[in-house]
Amino acid sequence: MDTIFVGGGTPTRLTPAQLERLLSVIRIHFPLAAGGEWTVEANPGTLDADKSDVLAAGGVNRVSLGAQSFQPRLLAALERNHNPEDVPRALDLIRPRFPFWSFDLIFGVPGSTPADWSEDLRIALSLDPSHLSCYGLVYEKGTALWKQREAGLVTPVEEDFEVEMYTETIDVLANAGLSMYEISNFARPGHESRHNLVYWANDAYFGVGLGAARYLEGVRSINTRDLQAYLKRVEAGGDPTGPSETLGPEERARETATLMLRRTQAGLDRAEFELKTGFAIDELSRAAIAKHVRGGLLEDDGLRLRLTRQGVFLADTVLCDLL
Amino acid sequence: MAFDPKFIRNFSIVAHIDHGKSTLADQLLLQSGAISQREFREQLLDDMDLERERGITIKARAVAINYTLEGQLYELNLIDTPGHVDFNYEVSRSLAACEGAILLVDCTQGVQAQTVANAYLAINGNLSIVPVLNKIDMQAARPDDVKEELFNTLGVNPDEVLACSAKTGEGVGEIFKAIIARVPHPAGNPSAPLRALIFDSKFDDYQGVVTYVRVVDGHLKVGQKIRLMAGGTTYEVTGLGRFRPHEVACEELGVGQVGYVTANIKQLADVRIGDTMTEHPRGAESPLPGYQEPVQVVYCGLFPATHNQFEDLRTALQKLALNDCSFTFEPETSDALGFGFRCGFLGMLHMEIVQQRLERESNLFLVQTAPNVTYEILTKRNEVLHIANPTRIPDAGDIEEFREPMARVNFILPSDCIGAIMQLCEDRRGTYIKTEYMTPTRAILSYELPLAEMIYDLYDKLKSATRGYGTMDYELIGYRADELCRLDILVAGEKVDALSIVVHKAHADRRGRRLVKKLRAEIGRHQFEVAIQAAIGSRVVARETISALRKNVTAKCYGGDVSRKRKLLEKQKEGKKRMKQVGNVEISQEAFLSVLDDGDE
Ligand SMILES: Nc1nc2c(ncn2[C@@H]2O[C@H](COP(=O)(O)OP(=O)(O)OP(=O)(O)O)[C@@H](O)[C@H]2O)c(=O)[nH]1
Ligand SMILES: [Mg+2]
Repeated sequence: MDTIFVGGGTPTRLTPAQLERLLSVIRIHFPLAAGGEWTVEANPGTLDADKSDVLAAGGVNRVSLGAQSFQPRLLAALERNHNPEDVPRALDLIRPRFPFWSFDLIFGVPGSTPADWSEDLRIALSLDPSHLSCYGLVYEKGTALWKQREAGLVTPVEEDFEVEMYTETIDVLANAGLSMYEISNFARPGHESRHNLVYWANDAYFGVGLGAARYLEGVRSINTRDLQAYLKRVEAGGDPTGPSETLGPEERARETATLMLRRTQAGLDRAEFELKTGFAIDELSRAAIAKHVRGGLLEDDGLRLRLTRQGVFLADTVLCDLL
Repeated sequence: MAFDPKFIRNFSIVAHIDHGKSTLADQLLLQSGAISQREFREQLLDDMDLERERGITIKARAVAINYTLEGQLYELNLIDTPGHVDFNYEVSRSLAACEGAILLVDCTQGVQAQTVANAYLAINGNLSIVPVLNKIDMQAARPDDVKEELFNTLGVNPDEVLACSAKTGEGVGEIFKAIIARVPHPAGNPSAPLRALIFDSKFDDYQGVVTYVRVVDGHLKVGQKIRLMAGGTTYEVTGLGRFRPHEVACEELGVGQVGYVTANIKQLADVRIGDTMTEHPRGAESPLPGYQEPVQVVYCGLFPATHNQFEDLRTALQKLALNDCSFTFEPETSDALGFGFRCGFLGMLHMEIVQQRLERESNLFLVQTAPNVTYEILTKRNEVLHIANPTRIPDAGDIEEFREPMARVNFILPSDCIGAIMQLCEDRRGTYIKTEYMTPTRAILSYELPLAEMIYDLYDKLKSATRGYGTMDYELIGYRADELCRLDILVAGEKVDALSIVVHKAHADRRGRRLVKKLRAEIGRHQFEVAIQAAIGSRVVARETISALRKNVTAKCYGGDVSRKRKLLEKQKEGKKRMKQVGNVEISQEAFLSVLDDGDE
């Protein structure tokens, strides 16, 4: 494997012994290639020295820490059960053991102000990360926040504030040497997440475990999210795969375009795109490209298309026209 | 050998909407063995997607079933008809192919407007009526009251009224017997030259036009030469068949039989519903009576959402017209919307259904304008202009007289609703003519109303004000001058012709304010601020601003998110399919329709 990502947010809930077992199973079935990237997600509240030792000894070389915010009241709004102090504490464990690490932050949490976010960014930079993910809050259907918003219990942050927060993120991080390489991801050169770049190139990947997604030979499928059903099927030697989806060649090419353009630096390279999909992007989307270049949302140097600064803020407006 | 007409019975099932016609048809199919319990599904004949989605019948459907009574095999051709008033034309065409009708009445609801209207259609067509009460399985059934209503409204003898539950099948056996006993068999002449009534048709990509006929005289055979009497075109029959309920081929159709005919008819315009099919070269002397042309009441513009699809839309309209001969279309041009068609319909539901069928059956996306009527302008130079597109109305300075079409409207309604309907008409610039009483409880109220004040929603308002018992009917009585003016809408400084409307001067400012508010809600946000103004001539009467869209981005998109995110983007894109680009602004279908005033503040 070139890259492995153990995610789901809570791998560090496991005991050191369980973690060790998990890692060894992975090593047997999916050995990491020399120079490969192996990331494990960690929760600041549950990572400790023993677990960190197990991870490092097991071959993991990158940790992604779910920090989310440094404000207790915003962590509460997000229903996270760790404290702001847990993040630097966890990073003290991570820094000496892993060559690569990152943490996540969320802006636009209900009740937050641009001042709160400036403070979060200041604290984040004081921890000297080489990679950061900063997500604008999304109200996903079915989540607690979504339900609260539907019920009128939380009021989303005003759009102007969100724009201000996102703008500040891009500028402040760039000044600190972390440049945006994807809509929500920032890194020092050479510290980008290689694993996530696979998704945005629309390359293939395996997926193992409850609710895991895979993309193999053009087929996207997801394992069942129902733990009982998953265990029953796996223990019976069966396949836990749930719904799957196979796109036609053109749909797949269009999907690839929408993913590639999320890469704000690499963008969509015409030659790479054609090699990968068999389609010329201009044949697929000439009118949409022209429209958004004219509207200032896309830049086109003849070889490569990229979202402009304004295009990043209105990415969905551009991407839906490419589908 | 053709089936002996003595043992054929042709009948329609007619009723007010939702009284259970299609459910009864299910039972007749099931109990006659035309379908098995396994093939059964509710309202089996409602097989158009739109019918199943809406739970109503839109198209009349014919089925041939066999039934054995006392050792004799009978052939029953039944037609399930729609109940909604907009599809009334389907009913009258179906009745013309029958000798009898089951008049079905939901005995929890009683006699309703379309019960009476459809009964009169059948009576005027000299059909035998078999009155049947339905839904006797329900708690709220009140069969005796409903028999009395039938007697009082239509003079139906209570002793002749049958009762059934189309849901449970109870009483359905008696219906078969009554049909056979009371409906006369077809009386055509088997040896006369062929005369077959074309009562419906459809387009098939492989077979061309498929016509649905009822043979009145003579017979139809595969290989026979035929002529369509109105058009004069001749063909050779390539295929015949029956509906059982699915199409089943046969060799011959004789007197009284109902089925389909294919004859390699490629020109859509050659087939006219109501035309008579005869044989060739020996032909019938005179055609069958045919049908009265329906009267369209609602007109709107239909434009392809993507340009270059004008011809596709024309073909789609021609194909659909084969299967629905009650709408009209002629080419129209709009500065904002390009080339399209102005279409006329029998009502608002009909308009909606036609639009959706065009889109689904021909894979088109359409933009529809709000309905409007034709105006007559006397210019200062003494010219008289007829204008169907409000934007072409000249500037106020050039107009001597601004005239609108007027209708004489007759409402038939319960007497206790007269006050409410008079108020409705007064609010709509109506002129009272008279009231006549048919009985102490039912009256005919007559008004003169501007057509534009009645065509969009007066029927709905009447229905709700009269608990569904009111019906209305109207005739055009020419144009009348009034204080009218054109109200224009400017989006980002550009006048959008398809949004212009004609309003009465006394209401112009209020309409303008309401309209820009509605448009502000309907036109999506853009990268820039968009101003919306309403103006009469150069006087701006209302203005609203749509703020700029500043952020529209999906933050997270990793492996497990890709499908879901793509679907969300597809949904955004879907919304754009029905958008028209006017200058830099994309205007949605909803926005064009919001011009139609619903009177809600
Ligand atoms: N309980 C009960 N329900 C019935 C009976 N007949 C019909 N229904 C119900 O009444 C509703 C309308 O039935 P349809 O058969 O669609 O009525 P329709 O007259 O064909 O309606 P349109 O074609 O739209 O005018 C459905 O929900 C049926 O299930 C009956 O005998 N008993
Ligand atoms: Mg029906």
